[in-house]
Amino acid sequence: MNCNSPDTKPDWKAYVLRELSPDAARQAEAHLATCSICHEEVATLRLTLDTLSTLREEEIPRRIAFVSDKVFEPRWWQRVFSPTFAAGALVAVAILIHGSLRPGQAQVDAAITKAVAQVEARHTEEKQAMYEVYELKEKQVSNMVLTSAALIR
Amino acid sequence: MIFREVEDPDLIAKARRGNVEAYNLLVSRWEKRVFNYLLRLVSNREDALDVSQEVFLKAYQSLPKLDDPARFSGWLFRIAHNEAFSLLRRRRPETELDGEPRPADLNPRLLPMELSLAVETALGRLSADQREAVLLKVYQGFKFEEMAEILECPVSTVKSRLYTALDLLKVTLAPMHKTALRGES
Repeated sequence: MNCNSPDTKPDWKAYVLRELSPDAARQAEAHLATCSICHEEVATLRLTLDTLSTLREEEIPRRIAFVSDKVFEPRWWQRVFSPTFAAGALVAVAILIHGSLRPGQAQVDAAITKAVAQVEARHTEEKQAMYEVYELKEKQVSNMVLTSAALIR
Repeated sequence: MIFREVEDPDLIAKARRGNVEAYNLLVSRWEKRVFNYLLRLVSNREDALDVSQEVFLKAYQSLPKLDDPARFSGWLFRIAHNEAFSLLRRRRPETELDGEPRPADLNPRLLPMELSLAVETALGRLSADQREAVLLKVYQGFKFEEMAEILECPVSTVKSRLYTALDLLKVTLAPMHKTALRGES
């Protein structure tokens, strides 16, 4: 095995990635034991893979919901006590009372439009609040990194 | 009684017969790996979660088309790849970012979490194709042939993308090597 020519040089990347056949791997190892240049190349590749392996695996923020997954559907009492459902129910009751007192269709329509707008606004606020919390968290991590780097320097 | 872990092909067979619980178990086995692959590819948690959801839904719908249940993982990642690149194509103008700090500019004496962030940044500097090759090989452990099937390209293309990526990472992560070693010792 000769590492001076690109045609005969062992494929060290395939070697460190365990893609060489057993025979090819044995030949490469025999060469590695006698060649300091290749030895250094393999060492650097392994260091790169070791560094890559420090990347943390993230936890999934919430379980993947499967559409026909009845097991994960909320029970009736969970739905009743969920904030969105409760708000919706409240609005519905208000509409009914309003409708029974003033049965005009235009007024009912207006009340429905208003109720829908309120629920949508509430959803938007909740979403915005969630994004703000997430952005704040990202900023904190970023500041921590900068502070640590400055301290080390 | 001897408990034997149910293999993926058994679950796939049951899911094909309409057993939703079997499919749920498959989802719970693979969701974290698929999510992490997508997260590194699309670089956004919410998008990665949405795409993960889409991937498992499409996988369920396409389950009858899976020829060989033993190759479920490659098949699943192929769906994930298609969904991720569909998203990347839709938002291409936003993904071409310049002017981010280069990992090589970071202090080499980093804490483990900072090291992880440095690796994340280094991966972010790669092209989407190169990054995906690293994700599939280094983090998901697929063989070159499997990667070629997932990416629908020749093995030579897979190797070219991966080798170029490794050359780039070797340079950008060089200052961090000592920290990685210290962390192991």
